[in-house]
Amino acid sequence: MIEIDALTKVYGAAHAPAVDEVSLRIPAGSVFAFLGPNGAGKTTTIKMLAGLLTPTSGQVRLGGFDVARQRSAAMAQFGAVLEGSRNVYWSLSAWQNLMYFGRLKGMRKPRVAERAQDLLTDLGLWERRHDKVGGFSRGMQQKVAIAAALIADPPIVLLDEPTLGLDVEATRIVKNWIAEQARELGTTILLTTHQLDVAQELCDRVAVMRQGRLVADLPTRELLARFRERDRYEIRLEGAAPPGFDAVTREGVTTIGVRVNEPREVYDVVERLRAHGAVIESLTQVQPDLEDVFLALVSEPSHAA
Amino acid sequence: MLLNVLRAEIGKGLRVQLAHPAGHLITLLISTMMYLGLQFVLGQGALRQDLLPHTLVAIGGYWFLQYAGLVMVADLIEEKRAGTFTQAQMTPAPPWLPMLGRLLTASIFGLAVAAVAALVPMMVAGITIPWRWAALLPAGLLWVNALAFTFLLAALALVSPVIGALQSLFTSLVLLLNGSFLPLALYPDWLAAAARVLPTTLGIEALTQTLFEGRTLSRLWTDGALPWLLAHTLALTAAAGLLFVRNHRRALESS
Repeated sequence: MIEIDALTKVYGAAHAPAVDEVSLRIPAGSVFAFLGPNGAGKTTTIKMLAGLLTPTSGQVRLGGFDVARQRSAAMAQFGAVLEGSRNVYWSLSAWQNLMYFGRLKGMRKPRVAERAQDLLTDLGLWERRHDKVGGFSRGMQQKVAIAAALIADPPIVLLDEPTLGLDVEATRIVKNWIAEQARELGTTILLTTHQLDVAQELCDRVAVMRQGRLVADLPTRELLARFRERDRYEIRLEGAAPPGFDAVTREGVTTIGVRVNEPREVYDVVERLRAHGAVIESLTQVQPDLEDVFLALVSEPSHAA
Repeated sequence: MLLNVLRAEIGKGLRVQLAHPAGHLITLLISTMMYLGLQFVLGQGALRQDLLPHTLVAIGGYWFLQYAGLVMVADLIEEKRAGTFTQAQMTPAPPWLPMLGRLLTASIFGLAVAAVAALVPMMVAGITIPWRWAALLPAGLLWVNALAFTFLLAALALVSPVIGALQSLFTSLVLLLNGSFLPLALYPDWLAAAARVLPTTLGIEALTQTLFEGRTLSRLWTDGALPWLLAHTLALTAAAGLLFVRNHRRALESS
Protein backbone atom coordinates (compact mmCIF):
# COMPACT_ATOMS: atom_id res chain seq x y z
CA MET A 1 0.00 0.00 0.00
CA ILE A 2 1.13 3.52 -0.76
CA GLU A 3 0.05 6.28 1.61
CA ILE A 4 0.75 9.90 0.82
CA ASP A 5 -0.29 12.50 3.40
CA ALA A 6 -0.39 16.25 2.77
CA LEU A 7 2.76 16.01 0.69
CA THR A 8 4.22 19.39 -0.21
CA LYS A 9 7.36 20.46 -2.02
CA VAL A 10 8.45 24.05 -2.42
CA TYR A 11 11.62 24.83 -4.40
CA GLY A 12 12.73 28.11 -2.84
CA ALA A 13 10.53 30.47 -0.87
CA ALA A 14 9.72 32.67 -3.87
CA HIS A 15 8.17 29.84 -5.87
CA ALA A 16 4.68 28.40 -5.77
CA PRO A 17 4.60 24.84 -4.39
CA ALA A 18 5.52 22.26 -7.02
CA VAL A 19 3.40 19.82 -5.01
CA ASP A 20 0.76 21.22 -2.73
CA GLU A 21 -0.82 19.18 0.07
CA VAL A 22 -1.28 16.03 -1.99
CA SER A 23 -2.86 13.08 -0.18
CA LEU A 24 -3.45 9.66 -1.70
CA ARG A 25 -4.15 6.10 -0.61
CA ILE A 26 -3.26 3.39 -3.12
CA PRO A 27 -4.42 -0.01 -1.95
CA ALA A 28 -2.27 -3.12 -2.31
CA GLY A 29 -2.69 -5.02 -5.57
CA SER A 30 -4.17 -2.13 -7.52
CA VAL A 31 -2.94 -0.47 -10.69
CA PHE A 32 -3.07 3.25 -10.14
CA ALA A 33 -2.68 5.87 -12.84
CA PHE A 34 -1.05 9.11 -11.83
CA LEU A 35 -1.76 11.62 -14.57
CA GLY A 36 -1.17 15.27 -15.25
CA PRO A 37 0.14 17.65 -17.87
CA ASN A 38 3.83 18.54 -17.97
CA GLY A 39 4.75 20.69 -14.96
CA ALA A 40 1.79 19.47 -12.90
CA GLY A 41 4.04 18.10 -10.16
CA LYS A 42 3.92 14.40 -11.03
CA THR A 43 7.68 13.96 -11.33
CA THR A 44 8.31 15.81 -8.07
CA THR A 45 5.76 13.61 -6.32
CA ILE A 46 7.30 10.47 -7.79
CA LYS A 47 10.78 11.55 -6.71
CA MET A 48 9.57 12.13 -3.16
CA LEU A 49 7.90 8.75 -3.25
CA ALA A 50 11.14 7.16 -4.41
CA GLY A 51 13.12 8.86 -1.67
CA LEU A 52 15.06 10.94 -4.19
CA LEU A 53 13.65 14.25 -2.98
CA THR A 54 13.00 15.43 0.55
CA PRO A 55 9.46 16.80 0.99
CA THR A 56 9.05 20.28 2.42
CA SER A 57 6.25 18.82 4.51
CA GLY A 58 4.00 15.80 4.55
CA GLN A 59 4.74 12.12 4.54
CA VAL A 60 5.05 9.15 2.21
CA ARG A 61 4.69 5.58 3.49
CA LEU A 62 5.48 2.57 1.35
CA GLY A 63 4.10 -0.67 2.76
CA GLY A 64 3.71 1.14 6.08
CA PHE A 65 7.29 2.45 6.17
CA ASP A 66 7.97 6.18 6.21
CA VAL A 67 10.28 7.02 3.29
CA ALA A 68 12.00 9.84 5.23
CA ARG A 69 12.38 8.13 8.61
CA GLN A 70 12.55 4.45 7.65
CA ARG A 71 14.26 4.85 4.30
CA SER A 72 15.95 1.48 4.24
CA ALA A 73 12.77 -0.50 4.94
CA ALA A 74 10.75 1.69 2.56
CA MET A 75 13.22 1.20 -0.31
CA ALA A 76 13.01 -2.57 0.16
CA GLN A 77 9.29 -2.28 -0.65
CA PHE A 78 9.87 -0.53 -3.89
CA GLY A 79 11.08 -0.94 -7.48
CA ALA A 80 10.97 1.73 -10.17
CA VAL A 81 11.39 2.37 -13.84
CA LEU A 82 11.93 6.08 -14.32
CA GLU A 83 11.12 7.90 -17.53
CA GLY A 84 13.84 9.71 -19.48
CA SER A 85 16.67 7.53 -18.23
CA ARG A 86 18.20 4.24 -19.20
CA ASN A 87 17.52 2.71 -15.78
CA VAL A 88 19.96 -0.13 -16.56
CA TYR A 89 23.60 -0.38 -17.66
CA TRP A 90 23.91 -0.67 -21.41
CA SER A 91 27.48 -1.97 -21.23
CA LEU A 92 26.35 -4.90 -19.10
CA SER A 93 24.29 -7.91 -20.14
CA ALA A 94 20.67 -8.36 -19.07
CA TRP A 95 21.84 -11.04 -16.63
CA GLN A 96 24.56 -8.85 -15.11
CA ASN A 97 22.10 -5.97 -14.71
CA LEU A 98 19.58 -8.10 -12.86
CA MET A 99 22.27 -9.62 -10.65
CA TYR A 100 23.53 -6.14 -9.78
CA PHE A 101 20.15 -4.57 -9.05
CA GLY A 102 19.01 -7.61 -7.06
CA ARG A 103 22.08 -7.49 -4.83
CA LEU A 104 21.75 -3.72 -4.54
CA LYS A 105 18.37 -4.42 -2.97
CA GLY A 106 20.15 -6.64 -0.44
CA MET A 107 19.26 -10.04 -1.97
CA ARG A 108 21.64 -12.97 -1.81
CA LYS A 109 23.23 -14.17 -5.04
CA PRO A 110 21.45 -17.55 -5.40
CA ARG A 111 18.04 -15.94 -4.81
CA VAL A 112 18.76 -13.20 -7.36
CA ALA A 113 19.87 -15.77 -9.93
CA GLU A 114 16.67 -17.76 -9.44
CA ARG A 115 14.48 -14.68 -9.74
CA ALA A 116 16.45 -13.32 -12.72
CA GLN A 117 15.94 -16.59 -14.56
CA ASP A 118 12.18 -16.45 -13.97
CA LEU A 119 11.90 -12.82 -15.06
CA LEU A 120 14.06 -13.17 -18.17
CA THR A 121 12.16 -16.30 -19.19
CA ASP A 122 8.79 -14.60 -18.65
CA LEU A 123 9.88 -11.63 -20.72
CA GLY A 124 11.29 -13.73 -23.55
CA LEU A 125 14.88 -12.59 -22.94
CA TRP A 126 16.41 -15.76 -21.57
CA GLU A 127 18.15 -16.71 -24.81
CA ARG A 128 19.79 -13.29 -24.98
CA ARG A 129 20.59 -12.92 -21.30
CA HIS A 130 24.33 -12.65 -21.90
CA ASP A 131 24.04 -10.00 -24.64
CA LYS A 132 24.83 -6.40 -23.79
CA VAL A 133 21.69 -4.34 -23.20
CA GLY A 134 23.06 -1.56 -25.41
CA GLY A 135 22.55 -3.83 -28.41
CA PHE A 136 18.88 -4.50 -27.59
CA SER A 137 15.85 -2.88 -29.21
CA ARG A 138 14.04 -0.16 -27.22
CA GLY A 139 11.34 -2.65 -26.25
CA MET A 140 13.86 -5.21 -24.99
CA GLN A 141 15.73 -2.54 -23.04
CA GLN A 142 12.47 -1.49 -21.41
CA LYS A 143 11.74 -5.11 -20.52
CA VAL A 144 15.15 -5.37 -18.84
CA ALA A 145 14.45 -2.13 -16.94
CA ILE A 146 11.10 -3.48 -15.76
CA ALA A 147 12.72 -6.79 -14.79
CA ALA A 148 15.38 -4.87 -12.82
CA ALA A 149 12.63 -2.98 -10.98
CA LEU A 150 10.93 -6.27 -10.12
CA ILE A 151 14.03 -8.32 -9.35
CA ALA A 152 13.60 -8.11 -5.58
CA ASP A 153 9.90 -8.93 -5.96
CA PRO A 154 8.86 -5.62 -4.38
CA PRO A 155 5.24 -5.22 -3.30
CA ILE A 156 5.20 -1.75 -4.89
CA VAL A 157 6.37 -0.82 -8.39
CA LEU A 158 6.50 2.61 -9.93
CA LEU A 159 6.42 2.66 -13.72
CA ASP A 160 7.02 6.09 -15.20
CA GLU A 161 5.92 6.04 -18.85
CA PRO A 162 6.57 2.30 -19.23
CA THR A 163 5.27 2.11 -22.81
CA LEU A 164 6.75 5.34 -24.15
CA GLY A 165 8.55 4.78 -27.45
CA LEU A 166 7.54 1.13 -27.67
CA ASP A 167 6.01 -0.41 -30.78
CA VAL A 168 2.53 -1.92 -30.72
CA GLU A 169 3.72 -5.44 -29.95
CA ALA A 170 6.09 -4.39 -27.17
CA THR A 171 3.39 -2.13 -25.68
CA ARG A 172 0.96 -5.05 -25.64
CA ILE A 173 3.49 -7.30 -23.89
CA VAL A 174 4.29 -4.68 -21.25
CA LYS A 175 0.59 -3.94 -20.66
CA ASN A 176 -0.25 -7.63 -20.24
CA TRP A 177 2.62 -8.03 -17.90
CA ILE A 178 1.60 -5.07 -15.74
CA ALA A 179 -1.93 -6.45 -15.48
CA GLU A 180 -0.59 -9.88 -14.56
CA GLN A 181 1.73 -8.50 -11.87
CA ALA A 182 -1.14 -6.70 -10.16
CA ARG A 183 -3.92 -9.21 -10.59
CA GLU A 184 -2.06 -12.46 -10.08
CA LEU A 185 0.82 -11.47 -7.83
CA GLY A 186 -0.85 -8.65 -5.89
CA THR A 187 1.81 -6.05 -6.75
CA THR A 188 0.75 -2.43 -6.26
CA ILE A 189 1.57 -0.53 -9.43
CA LEU A 190 1.75 3.23 -9.72
CA LEU A 191 1.77 4.15 -13.37
CA THR A 192 2.37 7.52 -14.92
CA THR A 193 1.74 7.88 -18.60
CA HIS A 194 0.68 10.28 -21.29
CA GLN A 195 -0.81 7.34 -23.20
CA LEU A 196 -4.25 7.60 -21.67
CA ASP A 197 -5.62 4.57 -23.50
CA VAL A 198 -3.01 2.51 -21.64
CA ALA A 199 -4.08 4.03 -18.32
CA GLN A 200 -7.77 3.49 -19.07
CA GLU A 201 -7.19 -0.12 -20.02
CA LEU A 202 -4.99 -1.05 -17.07
CA CYS A 203 -5.84 1.10 -14.10
CA ASP A 204 -8.36 0.52 -11.35
CA ARG A 205 -8.06 4.06 -10.14
CA VAL A 206 -6.90 7.37 -11.59
CA ALA A 207 -5.52 10.49 -9.97
CA VAL A 208 -5.00 13.68 -11.94
CA MET A 209 -2.69 16.48 -10.87
CA ARG A 210 -2.72 20.05 -12.02
CA GLN A 211 -0.52 22.89 -10.83
CA GLY A 212 0.76 20.85 -7.91
CA ARG A 213 -2.67 19.83 -6.66
CA LEU A 214 -4.82 16.76 -7.04
CA VAL A 215 -7.90 17.56 -9.12
CA ALA A 216 -9.24 14.00 -9.20
CA ASP A 217 -8.71 10.72 -7.39
CA LEU A 218 -11.38 8.19 -8.23
CA PRO A 219 -11.86 4.66 -9.50
CA THR A 220 -11.53 4.75 -13.29
CA ARG A 221 -15.16 3.76 -13.93
CA GLU A 222 -16.47 6.32 -11.48
CA LEU A 223 -14.32 9.03 -12.97
CA LEU A 224 -15.59 8.26 -16.46
CA ALA A 225 -19.17 8.09 -15.18
CA ARG A 226 -18.87 11.51 -13.58
CA PHE A 227 -18.24 13.00 -16.97
CA ARG A 228 -21.31 11.45 -18.52
CA GLU A 229 -23.20 14.66 -17.68
CA ARG A 230 -21.44 15.98 -20.73
CA ASP A 231 -22.79 13.12 -22.79
CA ARG A 232 -22.14 13.22 -26.45
CA TYR A 233 -24.17 11.53 -29.12
CA GLU A 234 -23.34 10.58 -32.64
CA ILE A 235 -26.11 10.52 -35.26
CA ARG A 236 -25.50 8.83 -38.59
CA LEU A 237 -27.65 9.89 -41.50
CA GLU A 238 -28.52 8.44 -44.87
CA GLY A 239 -27.49 11.02 -47.42
CA ALA A 240 -26.42 14.59 -46.78
CA ALA A 241 -27.06 16.52 -43.58
CA PRO A 242 -29.74 19.22 -43.64
CA PRO A 243 -28.52 22.85 -43.54
CA GLY A 244 -27.67 24.20 -40.09
CA PHE A 245 -26.11 20.98 -38.82
CA ASP A 246 -22.41 20.57 -38.34
CA ALA A 247 -21.76 17.28 -40.11
CA VAL A 248 -18.79 15.25 -41.25
CA THR A 249 -19.02 13.02 -44.31
CA ARG A 250 -16.52 10.21 -44.57
CA GLU A 251 -16.69 7.36 -47.09
CA GLY A 252 -20.29 8.25 -47.94
CA VAL A 253 -21.48 8.27 -44.33
CA THR A 254 -22.69 11.51 -42.80
CA THR A 255 -22.20 11.89 -39.06
CA ILE A 256 -23.44 14.62 -36.79
CA GLY A 257 -21.84 15.02 -33.39
CA VAL A 258 -24.17 16.35 -30.72
CA ARG A 259 -23.15 17.51 -27.27
CA VAL A 260 -26.00 17.90 -24.76
CA ASN A 261 -26.40 18.76 -21.12
CA GLU A 262 -29.48 16.61 -20.59
CA PRO A 263 -30.26 13.39 -22.49
CA ARG A 264 -33.74 14.65 -23.40
CA GLU A 265 -32.16 17.38 -25.51
CA VAL A 266 -31.32 14.63 -27.99
CA TYR A 267 -35.02 14.37 -28.84
CA ASP A 268 -35.04 18.02 -29.90
CA VAL A 269 -32.19 17.36 -32.31
CA VAL A 270 -33.92 14.27 -33.70
CA GLU A 271 -37.13 16.29 -34.18
CA ARG A 272 -35.25 19.01 -36.07
CA LEU A 273 -33.62 16.41 -38.31
CA ARG A 274 -36.98 14.76 -39.01
CA ALA A 275 -38.48 18.13 -39.80
CA HIS A 276 -35.83 18.52 -42.50
CA GLY A 277 -36.66 15.06 -43.86
CA ALA A 278 -33.35 13.50 -42.84
CA VAL A 279 -33.24 9.72 -42.48
CA ILE A 280 -31.48 8.61 -39.28
CA GLU A 281 -29.42 5.46 -39.68
CA SER A 282 -28.24 5.19 -36.11
CA LEU A 283 -27.99 7.15 -32.89
CA THR A 284 -25.22 6.26 -30.47
CA GLN A 285 -24.23 7.61 -27.09
CA VAL A 286 -20.53 8.36 -27.14
CA GLN A 287 -18.92 7.39 -23.85
CA PRO A 288 -16.28 9.78 -22.63
CA ASP A 289 -12.84 8.21 -22.58
CA LEU A 290 -10.01 9.02 -20.18
CA GLU A 291 -8.57 11.50 -22.64
CA ASP A 292 -11.80 13.54 -22.62
CA VAL A 293 -11.90 13.42 -18.84
CA PHE A 294 -8.24 14.33 -18.54
CA LEU A 295 -8.57 17.29 -20.88
CA ALA A 296 -11.65 18.50 -19.02
CA LEU A 297 -9.91 18.20 -15.67
CA VAL A 298 -6.73 19.97 -16.62
CA SER A 299 -8.40 22.78 -18.54
CA GLU A 300 -11.19 23.72 -16.13
CA PRO A 301 -10.76 25.81 -13.00
CA SER A 302 -11.79 23.29 -10.32
CA HIS A 303 -12.82 19.68 -10.19
CA ALA A 304 -12.33 18.46 -6.70
CA ALA A 305 -12.49 14.69 -6.35
CA MET B 1 23.36 -6.73 3.57
CA LEU B 2 25.90 -3.87 3.51
CA LEU B 3 28.71 -6.16 2.42
CA ASN B 4 26.49 -7.68 -0.24
CA VAL B 5 25.70 -4.22 -1.66
CA LEU B 6 29.35 -3.20 -1.52
CA ARG B 7 30.45 -6.32 -3.40
CA ALA B 8 27.70 -5.81 -5.98
CA GLU B 9 28.79 -2.21 -6.55
CA ILE B 10 32.45 -3.16 -6.95
CA GLY B 11 31.59 -6.07 -9.25
CA LYS B 12 29.39 -3.87 -11.40
CA GLY B 13 32.03 -1.14 -11.52
CA LEU B 14 34.72 -3.57 -12.64
CA ARG B 15 32.46 -5.05 -15.34
CA VAL B 16 31.45 -1.62 -16.63
CA GLN B 17 35.07 -0.48 -16.76
CA LEU B 18 36.35 -3.65 -18.37
CA ALA B 19 33.61 -3.54 -21.01
CA HIS B 20 35.81 -0.94 -22.72
CA PRO B 21 39.41 -2.02 -22.02
CA ALA B 22 41.11 0.05 -24.72
CA GLY B 23 41.23 3.22 -22.61
CA HIS B 24 42.84 1.40 -19.71
CA LEU B 25 45.44 -0.23 -21.93
CA ILE B 26 46.41 3.11 -23.48
CA THR B 27 46.80 4.61 -19.98
CA LEU B 28 48.99 1.69 -18.90
CA LEU B 29 51.18 2.25 -21.95
CA ILE B 30 51.49 6.00 -21.30
CA SER B 31 52.18 5.45 -17.61
CA THR B 32 55.13 3.14 -18.35
CA MET B 33 56.69 5.48 -20.88
CA MET B 34 56.08 8.84 -19.24
CA TYR B 35 58.23 8.46 -16.15
CA LEU B 36 61.45 7.30 -17.78
CA GLY B 37 61.03 9.86 -20.56
CA LEU B 38 60.57 12.61 -18.01
CA GLN B 39 63.58 11.59 -15.96
CA PHE B 40 65.70 11.23 -19.10
CA VAL B 41 64.91 14.82 -20.08
CA LEU B 42 65.44 16.14 -16.53
CA GLY B 43 68.77 14.29 -16.34
CA GLN B 44 69.81 16.00 -19.58
CA GLY B 45 70.08 12.76 -21.51
CA ALA B 46 70.85 10.41 -18.64
CA LEU B 47 68.90 8.70 -15.86
CA ARG B 48 70.12 9.93 -12.47
CA GLN B 49 70.13 6.82 -10.29
CA ASP B 50 70.31 8.91 -7.08
CA LEU B 51 66.97 10.55 -7.88
CA LEU B 52 65.10 7.67 -9.47
CA PRO B 53 63.88 5.75 -6.38
CA HIS B 54 62.39 8.84 -4.69
CA THR B 55 60.72 10.11 -7.82
CA LEU B 56 59.44 6.66 -8.75
CA VAL B 57 57.49 6.44 -5.49
CA ALA B 58 56.06 9.88 -6.20
CA ILE B 59 55.05 9.06 -9.76
CA GLY B 60 53.32 5.94 -8.45
CA GLY B 61 51.34 8.18 -6.10
CA TYR B 62 50.55 10.53 -8.94
CA TRP B 63 49.28 7.77 -11.21
CA PHE B 64 47.11 6.35 -8.48
CA LEU B 65 45.54 9.74 -7.81
CA GLN B 66 45.21 10.61 -11.46
CA TYR B 67 43.67 7.38 -12.65
CA ALA B 68 41.45 6.60 -9.67
CA GLY B 69 40.09 10.15 -10.01
CA LEU B 70 39.58 9.80 -13.73
CA VAL B 71 37.73 6.49 -13.42
CA MET B 72 35.60 7.79 -10.56
CA VAL B 73 34.63 11.09 -12.15
CA ALA B 74 34.08 9.73 -15.67
CA ASP B 75 31.94 6.93 -14.26
CA LEU B 76 29.81 9.30 -12.19
CA ILE B 77 29.28 11.76 -15.04
CA GLU B 78 28.25 8.96 -17.39
CA GLU B 79 25.90 7.44 -14.83
CA LYS B 80 24.32 10.78 -14.06
CA ARG B 81 23.77 11.37 -17.75
CA ALA B 82 22.34 7.91 -18.33
CA GLY B 83 20.13 7.92 -15.21
CA THR B 84 21.62 4.77 -13.67
CA PHE B 85 23.01 6.92 -10.84
CA THR B 86 19.46 7.81 -9.77
CA GLN B 87 18.29 4.22 -10.19
CA ALA B 88 21.14 2.97 -8.01
CA GLN B 89 20.06 5.32 -5.18
CA MET B 90 16.81 3.43 -4.68
CA THR B 91 18.43 0.84 -2.49
CA PRO B 92 17.86 -0.01 1.16
CA ALA B 93 21.57 0.66 1.67
CA PRO B 94 22.72 4.11 2.85
CA PRO B 95 23.72 6.47 -0.01
CA TRP B 96 27.41 6.50 0.98
CA LEU B 97 27.73 2.75 0.48
CA PRO B 98 27.44 2.63 -3.34
CA MET B 99 29.81 5.61 -3.38
CA LEU B 100 32.31 3.66 -1.30
CA GLY B 101 31.97 0.80 -3.78
CA ARG B 102 32.72 3.18 -6.63
CA LEU B 103 35.74 4.52 -4.75
CA LEU B 104 37.11 1.04 -4.20
CA THR B 105 36.59 0.18 -7.87
CA ALA B 106 38.39 3.35 -8.90
CA SER B 107 41.08 2.45 -6.40
CA ILE B 108 41.63 -0.94 -8.06
CA PHE B 109 42.23 0.76 -11.41
CA GLY B 110 44.41 3.42 -9.80
CA LEU B 111 46.50 0.77 -8.05
CA ALA B 112 46.86 -1.25 -11.26
CA VAL B 113 48.14 1.74 -13.21
CA ALA B 114 50.40 2.88 -10.34
CA ALA B 115 51.85 -0.61 -10.02
CA VAL B 116 52.60 -0.90 -13.74
CA ALA B 117 53.92 2.67 -13.81
CA ALA B 118 56.39 1.76 -11.05
CA LEU B 119 57.28 -1.84 -11.91
CA VAL B 120 58.18 -1.31 -15.58
CA PRO B 121 60.74 1.49 -14.88
CA MET B 122 62.12 -0.61 -11.98
CA MET B 123 62.78 -3.44 -14.41
CA VAL B 124 63.96 -1.28 -17.31
CA ALA B 125 66.24 1.07 -15.32
CA GLY B 126 67.17 -1.36 -12.55
CA ILE B 127 65.68 0.80 -9.79
CA THR B 128 65.63 -0.83 -6.37
CA ILE B 129 63.21 0.12 -3.63
CA PRO B 130 64.01 -1.45 -0.27
CA TRP B 131 61.04 -2.88 1.63
CA ARG B 132 60.46 -1.96 5.26
CA TRP B 133 57.43 -2.93 7.36
CA ALA B 134 57.34 0.58 8.81
CA ALA B 135 56.42 1.78 5.32
CA LEU B 136 53.03 0.05 5.49
CA LEU B 137 51.38 2.75 7.60
CA PRO B 138 52.48 5.74 5.50
CA ALA B 139 51.65 3.75 2.35
CA GLY B 140 48.19 3.02 3.72
CA LEU B 141 47.68 6.65 4.69
CA LEU B 142 48.90 7.75 1.26
CA TRP B 143 46.26 5.48 -0.28
CA VAL B 144 43.52 6.86 1.97
CA ASN B 145 44.75 10.41 1.33
CA ALA B 146 44.51 9.96 -2.43
CA LEU B 147 41.13 8.25 -2.13
CA ALA B 148 39.83 11.09 0.05
CA PHE B 149 40.80 13.50 -2.71
CA THR B 150 39.10 11.22 -5.26
CA PHE B 151 36.00 11.30 -3.07
CA LEU B 152 36.18 15.10 -3.02
CA LEU B 153 36.37 15.15 -6.81
CA ALA B 154 33.42 12.76 -6.97
CA ALA B 155 31.38 14.98 -4.66
CA LEU B 156 32.15 17.93 -6.96
CA ALA B 157 31.36 15.87 -10.06
CA LEU B 158 27.81 15.34 -8.78
CA VAL B 159 26.94 18.97 -9.50
CA SER B 160 29.82 20.83 -11.13
CA PRO B 161 29.81 21.23 -14.91
CA VAL B 162 33.52 22.16 -14.84
CA ILE B 163 34.73 19.11 -12.94
CA GLY B 164 36.87 17.98 -15.90
CA ALA B 165 38.84 21.23 -15.86
CA LEU B 166 39.16 21.21 -12.07
CA GLN B 167 40.41 17.65 -12.10
CA SER B 168 43.00 18.45 -14.77
CA LEU B 169 44.17 21.47 -12.81
CA PHE B 170 44.65 19.57 -9.55
CA THR B 171 46.25 16.46 -11.02
CA SER B 172 48.65 18.61 -13.07
CA LEU B 173 49.67 20.46 -9.91
CA VAL B 174 50.18 17.14 -8.15
CA LEU B 175 52.37 15.85 -10.98
CA LEU B 176 54.38 19.05 -10.94
CA LEU B 177 54.85 19.32 -7.18
CA ASN B 178 54.44 15.98 -5.38
CA GLY B 179 58.02 14.88 -6.08
CA SER B 180 57.52 13.09 -9.40
CA PHE B 181 60.04 15.43 -11.11
CA LEU B 182 62.47 15.99 -8.24
CA PRO B 183 62.46 14.84 -4.62
CA LEU B 184 60.70 17.32 -2.33
CA ALA B 185 63.94 17.82 -0.35
CA LEU B 186 65.41 19.65 -3.34
CA TYR B 187 62.56 22.21 -3.51
CA PRO B 188 62.91 25.69 -2.02
CA ASP B 189 61.14 25.81 1.37
CA TRP B 190 58.22 27.90 0.19
CA LEU B 191 57.55 25.57 -2.73
CA ALA B 192 57.83 22.48 -0.55
CA ALA B 193 55.34 24.04 1.89
CA ALA B 194 52.92 24.75 -0.97
CA ALA B 195 53.40 21.23 -2.35
CA ARG B 196 52.48 19.69 1.02
CA VAL B 197 48.99 21.20 0.77
CA LEU B 198 48.33 19.05 -2.28
CA PRO B 199 47.11 15.46 -1.95
CA THR B 200 49.72 12.66 -1.91
CA THR B 201 52.74 14.92 -1.17
CA LEU B 202 52.79 14.37 2.61
CA GLY B 203 52.21 10.64 2.11
CA ILE B 204 55.03 10.34 -0.39
CA GLU B 205 57.34 12.29 1.89
CA ALA B 206 56.59 10.02 4.86
CA LEU B 207 56.81 6.90 2.71
CA THR B 208 60.17 7.79 1.16
CA GLN B 209 61.53 8.70 4.61
CA THR B 210 60.73 5.20 5.88
CA LEU B 211 61.84 3.42 2.71
CA PHE B 212 65.08 5.24 1.93
CA GLU B 213 66.15 6.83 5.23
CA GLY B 214 64.99 3.96 7.44
CA ARG B 215 62.98 6.23 9.75
CA THR B 216 60.81 4.45 12.26
CA LEU B 217 57.15 5.24 12.81
CA SER B 218 57.90 6.87 16.16
CA ARG B 219 60.46 9.09 14.47
CA LEU B 220 57.94 9.98 11.78
CA TRP B 221 55.49 10.88 14.50
CA THR B 222 57.89 13.07 16.46
CA ASP B 223 59.17 14.70 13.25
CA GLY B 224 55.62 15.69 12.49
CA ALA B 225 55.43 13.81 9.19
CA LEU B 226 52.77 11.36 10.38
CA PRO B 227 50.62 13.85 12.34
CA TRP B 228 50.54 16.20 9.37
CA LEU B 229 49.69 13.36 6.98
CA LEU B 230 46.96 12.16 9.31
CA ALA B 231 45.55 15.66 9.74
CA HIS B 232 45.65 16.32 6.00
CA THR B 233 43.89 13.03 5.29
CA LEU B 234 41.23 13.64 7.92
CA ALA B 235 40.64 17.18 6.67
CA LEU B 236 40.30 15.96 3.07
CA THR B 237 37.94 13.16 4.13
CA ALA B 238 35.80 15.52 6.20
CA ALA B 239 35.63 18.10 3.39
CA ALA B 240 34.74 15.38 0.88
CA GLY B 241 32.10 13.91 3.20
CA LEU B 242 30.43 17.27 3.81
CA LEU B 243 30.50 18.15 0.14
CA PHE B 244 29.08 14.74 -0.75
CA VAL B 245 26.14 15.11 1.64
CA ARG B 246 25.35 18.54 0.20
CA ASN B 247 25.87 17.69 -3.47
CA HIS B 248 24.26 14.26 -3.37
CA ARG B 249 20.93 15.85 -2.43
CA ARG B 250 21.33 18.52 -5.11
CA ALA B 251 22.26 15.92 -7.72
CA LEU B 252 19.13 13.90 -7.02
CA GLU B 253 16.96 17.01 -7.10
CA SER B 254 18.29 17.91 -10.52
CA SER B 255 18.21 14.36 -11.90
